[in-house]
Amino acid sequence: MSDRRSHFHRELAELEAELMGVAERAERMIGEAVRAVVEDTPALADAVIAQDDEIDRIYLAIHDRWLELMARQQPMGSDLRLMSAILVLNATLERMGDQCVNISKMAKVVHGLPRSQQILTELQEMADLVRPMVRTAMDAFVRRDVPTALTLPEMDEPVDRLNRQMYRRVVECGPRKEQLEWATRMMMVARALERIGDQAVDVAEQVVFLATGEFREFGDTAGTGEHG
Amino acid sequence: MKTADHTSDQGVIFETKALNVFYGEFRAVRDIDLQVRANEITALIGPSGCGKSTVLRTLNRMNDLIPNARVEGVVRYNGEDLYDPDVDPVEVRRRIGMVFQKPNPFPKTIYENVAFGPRIARLDGDLDVIVEESLRKAALWDEVKDKLHEPALALSGGQQQRLCIARAIATSPDVVLMDEPASALDPIATLRIEELMLELKQDYTIVVVTHNMQQAARVSDRTAFFSVEVGDGGRRTGKLVEFDLTERIFTSPSQKETEDYITGRFG
Ligand SMILES: Nc1ncnc2c1ncn2[C@@H]1O[C@H](COP(=O)(O)OP(=O)(O)OP(=O)(O)O)[C@@H](O)[C@H]1O
Ligand SMILES: [Mg+2]
Repeated sequence: MSDRRSHFHRELAELEAELMGVAERAERMIGEAVRAVVEDTPALADAVIAQDDEIDRIYLAIHDRWLELMARQQPMGSDLRLMSAILVLNATLERMGDQCVNISKMAKVVHGLPRSQQILTELQEMADLVRPMVRTAMDAFVRRDVPTALTLPEMDEPVDRLNRQMYRRVVECGPRKEQLEWATRMMMVARALERIGDQAVDVAEQVVFLATGEFREFGDTAGTGEHG
Repeated sequence: MKTADHTSDQGVIFETKALNVFYGEFRAVRDIDLQVRANEITALIGPSGCGKSTVLRTLNRMNDLIPNARVEGVVRYNGEDLYDPDVDPVEVRRRIGMVFQKPNPFPKTIYENVAFGPRIARLDGDLDVIVEESLRKAALWDEVKDKLHEPALALSGGQQQRLCIARAIATSPDVVLMDEPASALDPIATLRIEELMLELKQDYTIVVVTHNMQQAARVSDRTAFFSVEVGDGGRRTGKLVEFDLTERIFTSPSQKETEDYITGRFG
């Protein structure tokens, strides 16, 4: 079988590869942003914020190239679905970068405040859950691997649970103003990590769409208990 | 062949069952099961030689005019066998009009081109009115109303094609068959024809053969994808691979062959 649109398909593959590069960056940034919080290192937070500028730059470049390909090639079938998925993934990864910036900003404003080891342990735990989610979702994307994509909601459950119980941890922190300020900021960090988990699930939804042509939201699989 | 399940018999105007067309000993298409619904645009797409024109011509018995063409199987039109010996092929072609790839107006005046069919068919009604209405429906009236008695061949290609459409609808058909109606036209004239098709489907059923996938995607409600099966001794026989809502065909077809064709991975 010959490919009558090999030039276009090569460009599509390149666009996909660029997206994988962005995903790797985003994944690394999650780890570093949380490390900046846990180790209380504002310099590392600044470095993450600077890296996000690079993600934004690639995001725009991918978007421009996407638009040009769309106008020139008018893709159909699985090419059209891939184009659609690339557009969604590009925006999703860019927003992951933004969440890492949010976490980094929190790391900076809480510098020097009294901390709770319990909360830090749980934030680290969330980061350690979320990073593999991003990697797994992107792997599933590259391989058009539906069964793997379908595992994402399950991976997301402990992240949601940790995020929900963060509220109680904050209350447990006691009445001291400085401790409360720190803990409140940590709730924002947990919230950002929870959002990144959701975004990884969004990526997985795109994998299913790409492979099957059916788009469905995986929905909130998290149970009911433990609100606040 | 894969046909979508989300279809019902409602509004079916044409139905072919196990349709085979032969030119002499040569089987051009094999076992075509196709349904065309009223007031829809059905597009027939596929590589050259897969039998699109052949299938289209079975829908108004144009194949009768081709020596040694033979049709097997069933073509039902409004539930009735189109090839029943009692059916008058001339009446069939009045109710099922046709527009061809190259605009082919008669070497007569614009008026005479449109008036020809109704006059032959002895249709009731004022001929002037029929001509005006047909030209209006074909979105040509404003451009030709002051030169109705000038030669049709002096019109531009796009205007000539719209004149042919006016001529086809002047006999009040139910269906207009179009075989690559825009392939000889520039992009603007092409878009005018496409717009016109979308207008016309209010009143008519349209079946269009096109090589232009984007055109099929733009105008049609359903798309039939045909391909060629190469058999013993290199015999090439056309077959219907997939028939579904146009949106499905071009975003997520169910057959790999369709997918390969629309993404250019074929051959
Ligand atoms: N009048 C004829 N006599 C003999 N063979 C014919 C005749 N018309 C068509 N064929 C053959 O039948 C097959 C189908 O032809 P047809 O014209 O229907 O294909 P098509 O899909 O319309 O192709 P194209 O896209 O090139 O117009 C081809 O192999 C063609 O050579
Ligand atoms: Mg043809």
